[in-house]
Amino acid sequence: MTKRQCSRWAACVAAVSLLLAACSGGGGGDNQSQSTQGTGADQFKGVDVTVLTFTGPQIAEPLQRRAPDFNQRTGANIKVVTVPFADLYDKILTDLATGTNSYDAFVFDPQWMGDFVPPGYLEDITDRVKADQAMKWDDIAPFFRDFSASYKGRTYTIPLDGDFQMVYYRSDVLQRDGLKPPATWDDYLAIAKRYNGKDLNDDGKADYGSCIAKKRAAQSYWMSWSVAGSYLQAEGTSQGAFFDVNTMKPLVNNQAFATALDVYKQTTNYAPKDELNLDVGDTRGLFTSGRCALSADWGDIGTLAIDPKTSTVKDKVGTVIMPGSKKVLDRASGQLVDCDATRCPHAIDGVNHAPFAAFGGWSGAINAAVDQKVKDAAYAFMSFMSAPEQSNVDVTLGKTGFNPYRTSQFEDTDLWVKAGMSKEGADNYLGAIRESLQSPNMILDLRVPKSAQYQGVVLDTAVAQFLAGELTRDQAIQQIEQGWEKITDEEGRDDQKAAYTDSLNIQR
Amino acid sequence: MDAARVAGGRGRPVAAGEAARARSQASLGASFAVRAAFIWPALLAILFVSIYPLLASLYISLSHLKLVRGGFEFRFVGLDNFRELLVGGEQGNFLGVLGPLGPVGWAVMAAGVALLGWGLVRAWRGGASVAGMVFRVLGAVLAAGTLWLAARTLLAAGGRPGTAMVTLVYVLVGITAQFLLGLGLAYLLTQGLPGQRLFRVVFLLPMMITPVGVAYMFRMLTDTGKGPLQPLWAAVGLSDFSWVNSPWGARVAVMVGDIWQWTPFMFIILLAALEAQDTDTVEAGMVDGANRWQIFRHISLPAILPVCATVVLIRLIEAFKIIDLPNILTNGGPGTATESLSLHAYFRWRTLDLGQSAAVAYSLLFIVTVAALAYVNLVRRRIAEE
Amino acid sequence: MSPLRRRSVNELPPAGKLAAYLILVGWAVVVLFPLYWLVITSFKLPIQVNSGPVYLPFVDFQPSLDAWRYIFVDLRDDTLRPYLNTVVVALSSSVLALVLGSAGAYALARFPYKPRLGMIALAAGCLALVAVAVALGMPPAVAVAVAAGCFAILAATIGRRFRRTLSNGDIAFWMISQRILPPVAVVIPIYVLFQHLRLLDTRTALIITYAATNLPIVVWLMRDYFAKLPWELEEAAVVDGASAFRVFRSITLPLSAPGLVATFLIVLVFAWNEYLLALFLSSADAQTMPLTVAAQNATRGPQWWYMSVLIQIMILPVIALAVALERVVSRGLLVGAVKG
Repeated sequence: MTKRQCSRWAACVAAVSLLLAACSGGGGGDNQSQSTQGTGADQFKGVDVTVLTFTGPQIAEPLQRRAPDFNQRTGANIKVVTVPFADLYDKILTDLATGTNSYDAFVFDPQWMGDFVPPGYLEDITDRVKADQAMKWDDIAPFFRDFSASYKGRTYTIPLDGDFQMVYYRSDVLQRDGLKPPATWDDYLAIAKRYNGKDLNDDGKADYGSCIAKKRAAQSYWMSWSVAGSYLQAEGTSQGAFFDVNTMKPLVNNQAFATALDVYKQTTNYAPKDELNLDVGDTRGLFTSGRCALSADWGDIGTLAIDPKTSTVKDKVGTVIMPGSKKVLDRASGQLVDCDATRCPHAIDGVNHAPFAAFGGWSGAINAAVDQKVKDAAYAFMSFMSAPEQSNVDVTLGKTGFNPYRTSQFEDTDLWVKAGMSKEGADNYLGAIRESLQSPNMILDLRVPKSAQYQGVVLDTAVAQFLAGELTRDQAIQQIEQGWEKITDEEGRDDQKAAYTDSLNIQR
Repeated sequence: MDAARVAGGRGRPVAAGEAARARSQASLGASFAVRAAFIWPALLAILFVSIYPLLASLYISLSHLKLVRGGFEFRFVGLDNFRELLVGGEQGNFLGVLGPLGPVGWAVMAAGVALLGWGLVRAWRGGASVAGMVFRVLGAVLAAGTLWLAARTLLAAGGRPGTAMVTLVYVLVGITAQFLLGLGLAYLLTQGLPGQRLFRVVFLLPMMITPVGVAYMFRMLTDTGKGPLQPLWAAVGLSDFSWVNSPWGARVAVMVGDIWQWTPFMFIILLAALEAQDTDTVEAGMVDGANRWQIFRHISLPAILPVCATVVLIRLIEAFKIIDLPNILTNGGPGTATESLSLHAYFRWRTLDLGQSAAVAYSLLFIVTVAALAYVNLVRRRIAEE
Repeated sequence: MSPLRRRSVNELPPAGKLAAYLILVGWAVVVLFPLYWLVITSFKLPIQVNSGPVYLPFVDFQPSLDAWRYIFVDLRDDTLRPYLNTVVVALSSSVLALVLGSAGAYALARFPYKPRLGMIALAAGCLALVAVAVALGMPPAVAVAVAAGCFAILAATIGRRFRRTLSNGDIAFWMISQRILPPVAVVIPIYVLFQHLRLLDTRTALIITYAATNLPIVVWLMRDYFAKLPWELEEAAVVDGASAFRVFRSITLPLSAPGLVATFLIVLVFAWNEYLLALFLSSADAQTMPLTVAAQNATRGPQWWYMSVLIQIMILPVIALAVALERVVSRGLLVGAVKG
């Protein structure tokens, strides 16, 4: 035994010690120095803050652009680190859950709060926000202030961007033919049908009526809920649009959702033939090169349309609040019933609109596990980015990816005209945003633990299979319901219900 | 023409059998220390990076992840994740939708079972040990099961292949095409044509691009709006065909990208092997009046057969892990048509369903290990005389 | 030119040459057209990409240096740092893998190993014991010590009782089987492993990981190569009194230069282009180029123009290296050596 064992152990020890010796090149900075208590240019002197977001230029560019300015003002050292968008969620969670804490702050999506807040990873900034005068918290639209940034009544994020979906249309084409922008989904389908196959950008090729990002595992599951939302929710944000707040039963096995799925699939008839493989980058490109009459998207098309490098439809784009429905779901019976004053208290002209704040709006949050001084510096940076002096400029620039979220941003059209929009275009765009933001029936995106599984896996797969013909509509509905119930049961029905109802209540 | 006379009688070992190794060990004065020093660094390096992940992911596949206050916890659930895959809610995704066996399906099953049975009988008559027969029977059962699954999902009306079957299709078609192309191109480049060196570099290019980049490149190429091939399809009359809306169209697109990217792998190895051939035997063959095909068939091919076997094995193992092309071309769509096993695991992993993801990964491990073992025992051992 | 190549020139008839050229040129077109598309995309503006395919610069569209400027000027450091990391990590790990792997391959080709199944099972059992003990709360150091003790005690008896041995082929199979699990399954455990070693976000972690995961490929490719080398040359050297190391270094390695080059290129490419492990083992300092390529697909959809630039600058060094190495090899290191 001896000789063989000795040689083996010797080799083991040698290898291990070699490796340990090579460990000297280890990175991982917590080179924090004791900073003096000061204000102004020395306030955060020597404090390093690592901020993680995804590779831009959207979202990352304004952070990287303004960080040197902030560093100069306060002596902090803000470093912005980026990772590919598709992996941001996993990177953040792995870093936090394993206790590595290589990032001090994040600019991420508040929808993920459902997974980050219960384990205690994010810093509660309610008190800081209350004491912060410069950021003008009350200027932020109520929805983002009270719903997006809070969880169980406490504030965890600082909004930097407002994300919700609207419908864009070719204003020149519709005006020429005397049509009004779509108010219901039937209108949408009618307009799409009318313009499908016509040449909309004078290049001799047939263009499309509607372009919606239906690619699997991309944005389709939000688009589908934008269509379904106005059929499902009518009584205000707190009614919830995903589950029944009393039983936590998914709101899918009913006539409303079935109708919405049919509408969603029908838009494909008036779309590019490979719409099932288009994600939001493709549809935006198509719309801004004039090939679509209608599109449903976040706020980006507004600013993309005025960029001469990407757009041929400058000043030809109109924006309107997400089309709604004249019939809504009666939750007791599962049937679609006509809208009336009690059923649809927030209806506009008899149509129930439910703009969907999909994804939530990129916001800054702070890692709860880092040092106090780092938290202070990180908070100051986020507050700086969100303050009107910086934010109101950034939301007019398309490359920043920041869409309006402050009341002051859509009341002052001058900034937008300066950025290149026409006056009518700015009024129209900001008007649609205002109408959506002020709607009391806005849909809050799902923010419970494992929301990514509910939406990104179960819903998205079933919708993709339905669109591709692998499942019938009713099979898809069944699959979604079963999948969602399974996740709810696995996580604990009572826990999920508590999280869901907590996320829907306004806490002041 | 006597191939044996051409190829034999040179006194050098075509493959290192045990006897040669014993000779070499004795002659090289390879004491225990020397033998250990050569092999142990490699073994330790591999062990260091592989043990913990292997054990950890095995445990994860038997558990369910939950995020709780202060971190996360893994709750042990036994074989739940696997049960979910094989008979539960994930069965449609993993195995597919099984249709009824039609006449074609029955014919294929019958032929397959007959072949397997004949192989087993032959092995038994050839004097295999009891343990060997047990393994062979197990292998035959698994092969028959795979054939049955293929018949019911691919050949049956209303059947839809799941990620396991789709991956198998990718692997079989891809490797066959890559091997034949790689071998053919390598052979042509040993014929002394002018411009050879340029071709060698050009043919290497696809493999050098990062797989994510290749996938995006093909996504650009196959885009019906922006892609360069659209006018070509229109000219041929296929302008209305949308490959992305057809399950098999999308799968073909993935396979084309895969073949384009990985043919250089086979090519470069086979080229090195062909060029390292012993020129004397080739010359002797030419002197004897053999034509090119005979030289290739009886001299070159046997000489490079061990390398062929190796390169196919390596590529086999890598091919089962295909993920970037289906992910980026269609995100696994339309529906779930192009989703491979690795992509299936990735989708689950991305949304923190780590248990299910690990279960899929271990199923992949099982399938590939069986395939690789079968391949090594049936093909490689015979060729390389282990 | 190698003797094999020189000889065949006389063989191919004109018709055959034409056919061969057609095939070769055909495949070259298949290879080069997507790359051509990539190159011209990097000179296009977004609007030119989105409105439909345009093929010829200056004829169909006006090329612009916008994308190149963005990558090199606007993002200067964010391009340079990953680039440097990729070069260092890929080269180091490939050299390491080549050294360790060819030694291992030589050993498997020349020396008979007979690891006892009993001992391996015992080692695996002790490892499992450590895993369970640590999971149940025992401090790792104690668990390892206990397991080592058990192994030492039981080794002698188990070694004597269970004499069934494995062969070189089994060792090699075990090595290549480490590549079967998809990266997605092992990435988080590897992350945790390097986190404990405090090596996260360092090049060292990436070098170690890539070397270890690419070792099996080197072993398998070189093993065949070594096995085919005639033993007589080495035997002659041994008779003259050379040690095994000497033989390996001075005779075997030079003879296998083409195989080493091919293997090195393959392993280099694997390390150069790896994505998932690089994503997780790096955070700010050790990011590599594949991450920057994938990152071009953000909320606006794939930025084809930037991506094309990044892909091109990624493959240029590898091509240059391949060309240079190929020249080294074909300069006659093989001529006359492989004779019985």
